[in-house]
Amino acid sequence: MANEPVGVLVIGAGASGAAFAWSIADTGMSVLCLDQGPWMKQEDYPSNGLDWEARGMGDFSPSPNVRGLPADYPVNEQHSDISPLMFNAVGGSTILWAAHFPRLTPRDFRTKSEDGVGEDWPIDYQTLEPYFAQNDRMMGVSGLAGDPAYPYHEPTLPPLPFGKTGNTLAAGFEKLGWHWWPSDSAILSREYEGRAACINLGPCLSGCAQGAKASTDITYWPAAQRKGVQLRTGCRVREITMGADGMADGVLYYDAEGQLQEQKAEIVVLACNGIGTPRLLLNSKGRQHPDGLANSSGLVGKNLMFHPYAMITGIFEESLQGRRGPMGCSFWSHEFYRTDRSRGFVRGYSFEAIRGFGPVQTALWGMIRGFIPWGEDHHRQFARLYDHTATLLAITEDLPEETNTVTLDPELTDAHGIPAPKVTYRVSENSRKMLAHAVERGREALTAAGAVETVAEPLFREAGWHLMGTARMGRDPGTSVVNERGQAHDVKNLFIVDGSVFVTAGGVNPTSTIQAFALYAADSIKKNIETLFDHA
Amino acid sequence: MTEKGAALNDHDFMKALFDLVIPPSASGDLPGAGALGLEPAVATALQADPLLGPLVEAGAQAVREAALSQHPKGLPGMASEARTKVVEGQLATHPLLIMGMSRYLYAAYYQHPRILECIGEPPRPPFPEGFDVEAIDAELLEKLLARRVSGVRKE
Repeated sequence: MANEPVGVLVIGAGASGAAFAWSIADTGMSVLCLDQGPWMKQEDYPSNGLDWEARGMGDFSPSPNVRGLPADYPVNEQHSDISPLMFNAVGGSTILWAAHFPRLTPRDFRTKSEDGVGEDWPIDYQTLEPYFAQNDRMMGVSGLAGDPAYPYHEPTLPPLPFGKTGNTLAAGFEKLGWHWWPSDSAILSREYEGRAACINLGPCLSGCAQGAKASTDITYWPAAQRKGVQLRTGCRVREITMGADGMADGVLYYDAEGQLQEQKAEIVVLACNGIGTPRLLLNSKGRQHPDGLANSSGLVGKNLMFHPYAMITGIFEESLQGRRGPMGCSFWSHEFYRTDRSRGFVRGYSFEAIRGFGPVQTALWGMIRGFIPWGEDHHRQFARLYDHTATLLAITEDLPEETNTVTLDPELTDAHGIPAPKVTYRVSENSRKMLAHAVERGREALTAAGAVETVAEPLFREAGWHLMGTARMGRDPGTSVVNERGQAHDVKNLFIVDGSVFVTAGGVNPTSTIQAFALYAADSIKKNIETLFDHA
Repeated sequence: MTEKGAALNDHDFMKALFDLVIPPSASGDLPGAGALGLEPAVATALQADPLLGPLVEAGAQAVREAALSQHPKGLPGMASEARTKVVEGQLATHPLLIMGMSRYLYAAYYQHPRILECIGEPPRPPFPEGFDVEAIDAELLEKLLARRVSGVRKE
């Protein structure tokens, strides 16, 4: 039986797809979202069991290659310095994220003008500001208004508790006179909109059983469904189909039973993340577009940006009760965020103070770092580390480079035979200098906070959460894939609203900005619906 | 030649190996890893791991055979020092034996209720009780508030 055509077809039910679908439903058009994953259940999350740490390395690993669940597709990462991470379900990677929720800063939108690197965005912070605020209200954001690093804005709820770890680390930053501020966190410090407040479970990175962490399956989706948006799960899109008029006319997808289905639509919207989106475009080849759809610029899949992370851990004599509380959220620092050429690199990085490790992670980390031996001394060394560590993550700004790419793997495929993405990525010299600088400053901060020893991982490989840049936005169709509202230059009824459209990456987590852009793109469509296809 | 999986499924052998990796603590507060009945879970996890599983299994097999060649009861029959020597003797040819096994042994050991209690953690899952956590230090917060930028809600 043929599927009923829809007005708007959104591919991907994660951070951006959910926000977009919720907003675009205001048009009254029929809206359908396809997602390859299932609905998640909070009672299935690892923090319901004693094996929460083990499951975080198994069926709730952030790596699709480790999980290998039916909803996942493999990613060839053999030629990448950083492992791409993601989750495939309703809610997408917000199921497993830390919910650390900074916005890009105003300067991040104009790196070319400010520092002569990257490119300027065709939109700015002010354009997105109302959408940042709207998104904060939908997700539920805890924080403290007045951070001097940002234009004034008011988080929805008071900041999350720091715990002893956060207080100890913040005292170190304070001692050095460095900037620090409680993080904007998409985790509820108070009950909000029918969702319960955080009870400090700890393992945010394997799903929040309390529902206090914002994942779009429990924030946007219930509201979108109340507006009439349909969501079809277990559906993996193979390709976008084109009409004779040069417009997208729908998709071919495999349903939950593995049957190939056709879905027609007037507008097609991609929200599949910075790897899934170029993969789908590159796989949507045709006679008129043999190099993939919307790719006349040749930039689909190019300029892949992660955020290279350094991880600096301090060992403290006192107990820090570190594994309790939202793992990735206490405070951030923008002390080294702006360009200072005397440092030997352009742009900068932020610090994110995270909490301590659980017992299993402590034991494994200690073993890998050579601190915890097997045999007689095992317990003594474990006791020295467990509950005695605190960590800073440095999130460095990755600049776009055309040699960092997502392409289609010539051999590897997913369970449906669709070519898997192949990621080719090298950390740049500029980023390496930034990472080295961050390691030294991180050690300094930890020592000021009282650490008796510091340990650094100058490039944290398993940290490819942030997938950006592979279908960048811009005004010039020769140097960008989509325009400033996410509309493909080549295909007027095709929109991209995920991190693929990022022109540069900033030095902070991108989800808040991704979602604000998705809301802005939806609003732009709503406001221009009658002339939408006239001026791509 | 021993049959495939013999070492991993030989519970007495695995207990002895586990106790070598995580022995009882000197004070006696913490049991050795061999005392907790972790063998089936660790063996199952290893056998399902296509990368580490075969490497650990080969190493364990080599240790088991070397031990049996020295003592009729194999590793379980040997004194601690002799056990250590046997294992160390195989690490040159099986360098990932301990590290690979520990990937699963540590996970099983440090999520065991008895161990959690011993290391000062409540022997329960994080949910639904959760934990109490210190608020932001009042003195630090005061300093922050003194330097915050003011503004009006624009949105």
